[in-house]
Amino acid sequence: MSTNAESKSLWRHAFEQLCKDKLALTSLIIVAVYSLVAILVALGVLASDWEQSVGPSYNPPSADHPFGLDIFGMSVWAKTLKGTEVAMSVGLVTSLISITIGVTLGALAGYFGGKIDEAIVWFYTTFTSIPYIMLVVAIAFILGKGLMTVYLALGLTSWVSLCRLIRGEVMRHKDREYVQAAGAIGGGDMRKLFVHILPNVLHIVIINFSLSFQTAIKSEVILSYLGLGVQGRPSWGIMIDDAKLELARGVWWQLAAATLAMLIVVLAFNILGDALRDALDPKLKGK
Amino acid sequence: MKKFALPILALSRLPLFSCTKKEEANEKVLNLVVGSEVKGMDPIYSNDRYSSNETARVYEGLLEYHYLKRPYQLTPNLAEAMPEVSNNGLTYTFKVKKGVKFHDDKAFPGGKGRELVAEDFVYSIKRLADPKLQGLGWWVIDGKLKGLNEWREKNTSAEKVNYDEVVEGVKALDSHTVQFNLTKPFPQFLYSLAMTFTFATAKEVVEHYGNEFLNHPVGTGPFMLPEFKQTNRIEYVVNPNYREKKFPCDASEEFEAIAKEYCGKTLPLVKKIVVNIIKEDQPRWLNFQKGNLDYIGIPKDNFDAAVTPTNELATDLSTKGIDLLIQPSLDVTYTAFNLDLDLLKNKKLRQALSLAYDIDTSNKLFYNNRALPAQSLVPPGIAGYIKGYENPYRGHGKEADIAKAKKLLAEAGYPEGKGLKELTYDCPSSTVSRQIGEYTKQQFAQIGVKLKVVQNTWPELQKKIDKRQVELWGIAWGADYPDAENFLQLLYGPNRAPGANGSGYDNPEFNRLYASAAVMQDTPERTALYEKMVRMAAEEMPWIYGVHRQNYVLKHSWLKNYVITDFEAGSEQYLDVDLAAKKTALEKL
Repeated sequence: MSTNAESKSLWRHAFEQLCKDKLALTSLIIVAVYSLVAILVALGVLASDWEQSVGPSYNPPSADHPFGLDIFGMSVWAKTLKGTEVAMSVGLVTSLISITIGVTLGALAGYFGGKIDEAIVWFYTTFTSIPYIMLVVAIAFILGKGLMTVYLALGLTSWVSLCRLIRGEVMRHKDREYVQAAGAIGGGDMRKLFVHILPNVLHIVIINFSLSFQTAIKSEVILSYLGLGVQGRPSWGIMIDDAKLELARGVWWQLAAATLAMLIVVLAFNILGDALRDALDPKLKGK
Repeated sequence: MKKFALPILALSRLPLFSCTKKEEANEKVLNLVVGSEVKGMDPIYSNDRYSSNETARVYEGLLEYHYLKRPYQLTPNLAEAMPEVSNNGLTYTFKVKKGVKFHDDKAFPGGKGRELVAEDFVYSIKRLADPKLQGLGWWVIDGKLKGLNEWREKNTSAEKVNYDEVVEGVKALDSHTVQFNLTKPFPQFLYSLAMTFTFATAKEVVEHYGNEFLNHPVGTGPFMLPEFKQTNRIEYVVNPNYREKKFPCDASEEFEAIAKEYCGKTLPLVKKIVVNIIKEDQPRWLNFQKGNLDYIGIPKDNFDAAVTPTNELATDLSTKGIDLLIQPSLDVTYTAFNLDLDLLKNKKLRQALSLAYDIDTSNKLFYNNRALPAQSLVPPGIAGYIKGYENPYRGHGKEADIAKAKKLLAEAGYPEGKGLKELTYDCPSSTVSRQIGEYTKQQFAQIGVKLKVVQNTWPELQKKIDKRQVELWGIAWGADYPDAENFLQLLYGPNRAPGANGSGYDNPEFNRLYASAAVMQDTPERTALYEKMVRMAAEEMPWIYGVHRQNYVLKHSWLKNYVITDFEAGSEQYLDVDLAAKKTALEKL
């Protein structure tokens, strides 16, 4: 069988199925909008004036400032947009780090088995027992606190579940006929693994990507809330930390803006992840 | 040494509640509260406010703070009178009151408390210095009493600490005379005799209870606690053999009414103290409102509900007869500069930054507009504070301030902030500390100076300061004793980090003035020196001065004589409960 033709039709099929699912499509659009906002903020087109005081401290939501103002009279809306940039970049970078490590180690362990497998399994079981907050603190000692630390800490701690999945999946695939055929015509280990097997387990990576993306966003919020995350710029976590004290004086808008922004994107990623699994898992096809 | 994280608000004094059992209507009971577990009742370990307050109900020292006098003034407690001080300021001789008895306890022969003698103070001071016990208040007398450090050194390796050896620094001349010999003049020494660390304990009791001494307080004080247990409720009863101690008749102007009404009455005024341990703000607040607690510091989250913007009590509370008391606390908040860095040695740069920082808005945002902007480092209420003094480099957010700041910045060599690198501001990781950092960043941005805010855990920040890995940082200082010396030492060159002088300010002229003032008795000359240093510190700007915070306390109408004090140990003996008023007031709650 030709993996090429097979995978193309799988992807096309998946895309068509996704388009039929209204909820999934909406989620996809939401994710696209968040990404666009993040890019525009990063380029300075949007919310570049978030540091400006635009009115009195704790001004409630009004027509000019739909989410009101914070303690320094900064627009909560602009801060939320700026926070979107942080959240999306953390989601993207940590997912990429975790996929790179997870897929490489998982594939090697699953394909070669034996001592290599044992070593990798030992490594990830040990590694996963380090709580990510401890790792953040450790990395922060070396790099100082900031975005880079958050990327690394979250990326380095979130690859284990993907690694396990890929390892299991590669094990199932490595003795299949198409792999044996590739071997018979002279393909080496690396060719069999990366050219033949990997495309067949790629759907797992895609599904995992959308789920780890939203986990990373949530983790970033928690870290920033605890003061371990980004420094000196708005983040949804820092906004929620602010709100902790403001609520007693009836200032709810900062909490509302941050949680709403987070809720929508996390929900969208979850729905999208489920829809992708339905669309990409060959076993569910046609059901 | 009391360093505070910035956001610790002045809520220290907590209330109390009486439990389910209704007390008899004709018994005077004080209902107090503490917000934390009490560590135990041993004077030498009472280094936090909670345990030192508890310990001081049972134990007493040679001196105490006059309850009704401000500025704070020391007055004899177990001492017959204030000590005789030798001309060179090195020898302090105290006459101990006669006829003072320890509480009855089975540690004494026949269970009868014996008379307090001078030797008890010698023993208690040595106990504080005992290297095996590692008393937490050792710093108070470390290096101050002749021969005591040597004694401590010698006994570190000894199998048993030798209390019999006479130490020159603290000795009993006769049964009721105790003499302290100092290594160098240190007028603040007297304050340490009003701290719980140096209160009188009896050797028999310590030896009888051994390790359990912590839980069996036996002192000479107005109240007794037969046994201390880690529970949510501590009940003290009055000491029936308490010596004749009278309510003071002299007082500062603001407290004259109290002194007039109570002058000469026998202390203590109540029969019983119930101390409740409630850690959470909200239960404390509700218990106060129900009348289960006599007074309470206002929890931060209830502040707006309790106090109106004009600093008055909300009407729903005042109609219940609740009173609001406000008093500045002896502290100062500040943003320190690391003066080891060449960049920050630039005085004009520091002055420019201070002018750019609008203290009034900061006060509004972070202290409900209820703190006093600091002009220099010494808070009001102690000699050295200059009433009406305005720091010329204090920013108030006016355009003139910003213009002046910009001019100074240009003179400093950084017109419009050009050529100046991004500065770093370190703060503890709490929400308010971070917001103060962000506010500072915003203020500096007005004159083109960039600032990066970095959050740290409290120990991490301390370490960074000690290792000089900081540029600017936010911090506060609370007084150990009511003397400007305790604040001025923060800028004394030889005290540089890891000492208390975190900014590393080292000005020969300032050091010279400090060194001469630190050994002077409290005289107008010393105050003049203090004021000179205060002005110098104000203009040199080793810090951007923050605010002096205030205490806000609510009390019920039936609690009489309550006044806010920074040194509250032992003050409950002066409190009274008006039972008739309590009965009427409780009906309204």
